[in-house]
Amino acid sequence: MSTGTPLAGHFAPGTLPFRDGHVGIVELGEGPTVGYLHGMLGNPGVHAVLEELAAVGHRVVAPSLPGFTGSSEPDGLRNLHDWVVATSEVVDVAGLAGAPLVASSVGAMLALELAAVRPEAFGPMVLVAPFGLWDDSDPVADPFGTTLSVQRAMLTEDTEASAAFFDDPTDLPADMVVEHGVHRYLTRTAAAQLIWPLPEWGLAERLHRVTNPVTLVHGAKDRIIPASYLERWAEALPNVASTHLLDDAGHQADFDQPAQVAQIATAALA
Amino acid sequence: MKSIFFHLMPYPELPPDFPEQHRSVWVDIDPKLYDPTVGHETYNTYLDQLEFAAECGFDAVGINEHHSNGYGLMPSPNIIAAALSRNCPDTNIVVLGDSVALYNPPLRVAEEIAMLDGITGGRMIAGFPVGSPMDTIYAYGQNPATLRERYHEGVDLIRQAWTSDEVFSFNGNYNKLRYVNVWPRPVQQPHPPIWIPGGGSVDTWDWCAAEDLVYCYLSYFGYKAGLRTMQGFWKKVQELGKETNPFQGGFAQFIAVADTEAEAWDLYREPAEYFFNTCLHVYAGYADPPGYKTPNTVRAGVEGMVERAAREATARREANAADAAKAGSAKPSYGSKKLSFEDMVEKGYIILGDPTQVTEQVHELATTMNVGHLMVFSHFGNMDPELVKMNTEMYATKVMPEVAGLFEDDYEDHWWPKTDHQLEPVGSRAR
Repeated sequence: MSTGTPLAGHFAPGTLPFRDGHVGIVELGEGPTVGYLHGMLGNPGVHAVLEELAAVGHRVVAPSLPGFTGSSEPDGLRNLHDWVVATSEVVDVAGLAGAPLVASSVGAMLALELAAVRPEAFGPMVLVAPFGLWDDSDPVADPFGTTLSVQRAMLTEDTEASAAFFDDPTDLPADMVVEHGVHRYLTRTAAAQLIWPLPEWGLAERLHRVTNPVTLVHGAKDRIIPASYLERWAEALPNVASTHLLDDAGHQADFDQPAQVAQIATAALA
Repeated sequence: MKSIFFHLMPYPELPPDFPEQHRSVWVDIDPKLYDPTVGHETYNTYLDQLEFAAECGFDAVGINEHHSNGYGLMPSPNIIAAALSRNCPDTNIVVLGDSVALYNPPLRVAEEIAMLDGITGGRMIAGFPVGSPMDTIYAYGQNPATLRERYHEGVDLIRQAWTSDEVFSFNGNYNKLRYVNVWPRPVQQPHPPIWIPGGGSVDTWDWCAAEDLVYCYLSYFGYKAGLRTMQGFWKKVQELGKETNPFQGGFAQFIAVADTEAEAWDLYREPAEYFFNTCLHVYAGYADPPGYKTPNTVRAGVEGMVERAAREATARREANAADAAKAGSAKPSYGSKKLSFEDMVEKGYIILGDPTQVTEQVHELATTMNVGHLMVFSHFGNMDPELVKMNTEMYATKVMPEVAGLFEDDYEDHWWPKTDHQLEPVGSRAR
């Protein structure tokens, strides 16, 4: 399967070789390196939180996970173990091993899974609304048993905040519009693979291995993972530096409030 | 051309205001709406209808698999096939089919079809659908990203299990089996015919064409709308340089026949409206989970059958909401504008008329789509059992004989149980 032409459009300014295909990569800014592992919205080009992180003096390296925006269609990723190994490889090809990390949503879940088996993979971590816990009394919502417009409204509090992923530039050639549509579909597919049918794969039993300092961020208006999970994560992780509940933010608080997330990250990773 | 009496087994007593009060007939349909007493009567009535169709001389009777579904009460089609197998000794049974990826291991399907083939003496046709998103992804929690790979591996396992004359190990990505040994073996050798019901996936066309499997388009929207899909399949067959044998194709069609066209309009309105406006009240959010379609299908812009049903229901619902807003009414309900019976007939969703008119349209369907296997919905919606009987009998006696000869002289049906290999009924089945 691992085929596909790297997109010249705004979804993937660059690519890195990955197995028989490639992963997308966005890199900008100068200064100490910080990694960024995206959430369900992938890396739709140079998006706001990357610019904000660069603006406060970081060199931001943001690889797309296999299948997500700008990456080729993944092959051989059938279970969580496959994904953790793939994430480990992506971290290496992007030169991020040992670097501090900002990660969101599904990317934050994979960061925790990787840190549990390879603690030296990352330095301090800032995690925005990770998937991975489940409470029957306050369940995580289903972002896939719904229409695309409702899903968009579930991902960010302000739907305009996800425009880089959902809306194509008006001057994009027709064939690229089709390919962007396919990449959006593959991005949603990869996210679904990680969290369908329920985003709970036993991570809680592995969290004692995550000794990196973790700063937790959660959107108060997260319509997918209830804000109450901020406290659950704080209790479950062994080394929590601080927690932050952002008022005007949904699930991808890094898209809703990129400047705030960058400020929190700068303080946490200093 | 073969005519197969096909039954969906819808629950017949959904409330009249179901579309207004409920979001979806599928996946999250209210469990409290199911009355086991109604279910008891319904199952037995529907089994009677299938048995009656067999007595009327249909070439086969057909059933399928759905889950958490108000219009399909067959989570296990093999149980219905088992119930039919003893009372329909001369009729072929099309299970269209078992959703292979939902069985763990899929070997269960190989075993059960082999059992059924043994009971019926070699009268089974085995259908292997990927399964709808509602059934597989939402009701049964399969991962959309791996469903198709799991499905193809399951079909491969079943075919190997039926054809190997040695015990073997199967080392799949999703199925690890040290000992594969289907016991009993099917009567039909090497195995019963395999049909693949599809909903419009480009890759399913390609696969069926390459593997010489029957491609069946089980559409609810008639032959006029289904033409593009079947043409896509035949185009692929031609590209491979293979014969476009109509018996490699199948199609489903609602049929409403009466002595006169006027009588048909009068008789079939209620059950048709029940099916299209209540049974197909499917929430659009369940129609297109990411990963269910292949990238090729996304790129080609092909829309699946249930996706279309959900989209049309949503479009009507949005039009209704717009009307309500224009009229200044309160928040609109789940209900949508109703699809009219006239539209259903005009668009070809339902072939309606007297026997001559129906025969002409069935002939047109078969020849324009090039399909030699027609799944006939003589029952639909909440049709009264007496009307089902009439519709079934009229098709069998007045339409079927007129179309039965289609394609038979020019093509061999390689995908039908071979009568010279079938075993005579024994035991009480012989009586």
